[in-house]
Amino acid sequence: MSVLEVHDLSIRFGGVQALADVNLAAGEWEIVGIIGPNGAGKTTLFNCITGFYSPTSGRVRFRGEDITELPVHVRAGRGIGRTFQNVGLVKGSSAVENLLTAQHLAASYGAVAGIAGSPRTFDDERALRHRAHTLLELLGLADLGDAAVADLPYGVLKRLEIATVLASDPDLLLLDEPGSGMGPEEAHALGDTLLELRRTFGLTIVMIDHHVPLVTRVSDYMYCLNFGAVLAEGPPEVVRAHPDVVAAYLGDAAEAV
Amino acid sequence: MSAVDDPTAGHPAPGSEPDGSGLPVEAAPIDAETAAAVRAAAPRPDRFRPAAAGWIGRGVVWAALAWVVLCLPGNIASPVSLSATEARGASEAVVFAIIGLSLNVLIGYAGQISLGHQAFVGIGAFTSAFVVTELGQEFWLGVIVAALVGALQALLLGGVALRVTGLYFALITLSYGVMVQQSLFNVESLTGGVAGRDAPLPTGVSSAYGYYYVCLGLLALVLWLDWRLTRTKAGRALLAVRENPRVAATLGIDIRGYTVLAFMVSGFFAGIGGALFAHRDGFVVAEPFTFQLALIFIIMTVVGGLRSRSGVVLGSAFFALMGDGILLKLLRLEGFFENVVKLPSEFVPLVLGPLLLLLTLTLYPGGIGQQVAPVRGWLLGGRFDRHAGAVKEVQVTDVRA
Repeated sequence: MSVLEVHDLSIRFGGVQALADVNLAAGEWEIVGIIGPNGAGKTTLFNCITGFYSPTSGRVRFRGEDITELPVHVRAGRGIGRTFQNVGLVKGSSAVENLLTAQHLAASYGAVAGIAGSPRTFDDERALRHRAHTLLELLGLADLGDAAVADLPYGVLKRLEIATVLASDPDLLLLDEPGSGMGPEEAHALGDTLLELRRTFGLTIVMIDHHVPLVTRVSDYMYCLNFGAVLAEGPPEVVRAHPDVVAAYLGDAAEAV
Repeated sequence: MSAVDDPTAGHPAPGSEPDGSGLPVEAAPIDAETAAAVRAAAPRPDRFRPAAAGWIGRGVVWAALAWVVLCLPGNIASPVSLSATEARGASEAVVFAIIGLSLNVLIGYAGQISLGHQAFVGIGAFTSAFVVTELGQEFWLGVIVAALVGALQALLLGGVALRVTGLYFALITLSYGVMVQQSLFNVESLTGGVAGRDAPLPTGVSSAYGYYYVCLGLLALVLWLDWRLTRTKAGRALLAVRENPRVAATLGIDIRGYTVLAFMVSGFFAGIGGALFAHRDGFVVAEPFTFQLALIFIIMTVVGGLRSRSGVVLGSAFFALMGDGILLKLLRLEGFFENVVKLPSEFVPLVLGPLLLLLTLTLYPGGIGQQVAPVRGWLLGGRFDRHAGAVKEVQVTDVRA
């Protein structure tokens, strides 16, 4: 059974058909790559999957359950985590606090018990903090300390964002341009990380990125979107070599890669 | 859920793999042991420890503060003798502090403004008076019921009204406050109408001096709840909702649920404040619970400094003491406003308040909390840092609210 299934998804903003009958599936432990030129509807697709947009038509299924009508936070509770193009972190808080915030659903006490200061919440908070530190260490971010994350460099923020989403304990991870702003070597290292995380956490990953070599290397299956429709899909080498994809998106760069 | 509680379980520790794979950005990854060694070796800025003289200085200031808060209003170990009226003024300062903390939860944490908080405080006051005089119950039960009614009110109003936020929510609370003030407060069977309702001192408390300590105890309770709120998941959820609602939602945080929860906590605190307000004077009438009062509440909270407990407490106490003329008396300015500028003293806070608000928003966005932050840090054993408590983002998030 697929972890994520998108059926005939369409969404229209006024006169713009942002997505037209998009079909997409991601199986257990799979890494699915999505490429496509700017404005192709990649992030819009993510917004439909996470629930920020309601599609005009079509369904989204997660582990067989139709989640098309569920609110964003409920979908997150089902196990869908995502990162954002422009870094989704609480900028005024420290790295550890961001990971604590992300463990919202993992906290075993109720919000009211926390406010009342029940003794158990002190222990639970300590456990959450321990897990936050462990995760930061795992991603090589142990030394960020208590400073607000606002002033950290972009590359570190991108890594921290992944640590944060992992703290929220997802089954399905949607990564929106995790490699943006990275050079070829950093992007290569990111690829290693993603493969490693899949193994460690048993994740299914759907990622959008413009680094075609990165997406090709880590993906098991790849989609290319253009003008809101799936232009090509299949194994990465096939999609990358597809004449329509080359024409629409990669141009001469395909030969260069 | 597939990810395990301990992410390293069933997986070699990150440092134990020869290639240390798993580091996305840095070309040369540092394994955990090396990192720990580097951390231990690196000369970290030492934690500041005050010398003996420093501790004595801090001790003296702490003692002076404790004396002002614990002894002065009760005429204990005190060279000056306060009148019962002045002791009631001190109680009012504490009650205002509770109300300020109530609004701080809503404005500071949830980023929503209530322009109808006079209704919450007023309903708390009448509820407690009703429980004590009509139902013949103890004062403590009156306070508990008033607090619960405050939370329930917020749940009912917020459950409906918090579908909209910001300015629109403020408008709804404004009309709610005025509606309560004009209709509910005039229902004679509930409030006693124009004559009001008796609200005796708690059993075992015989004077205005004793009552001050009752107020102080409940302020301590509210401070405790507020502290736990900010240190647990609800506080972090609210912070995330205020700063980045989209991210909050993708982390599984129910935005509206938590905003309503913050409103309920605010209503709970306001109920306690209202009950204390009622029993302070021995009776309660609807007259003081006007929109004017709601404005003062907001001004004192913002001038005190959103999200700063010490600032909100000080700001609220300041406005309470200014409102009942005690501050003017201390400053030897009695009669100045009445005689020179023909301004009745109860309007002084309403005129000075906006001026202070302007100063706060332009010069000290962190309010009194920012101004006292250096002293606070010093008292807690740190250095005297003039720049402590500077607020960076308060304007953006709060103006949007």
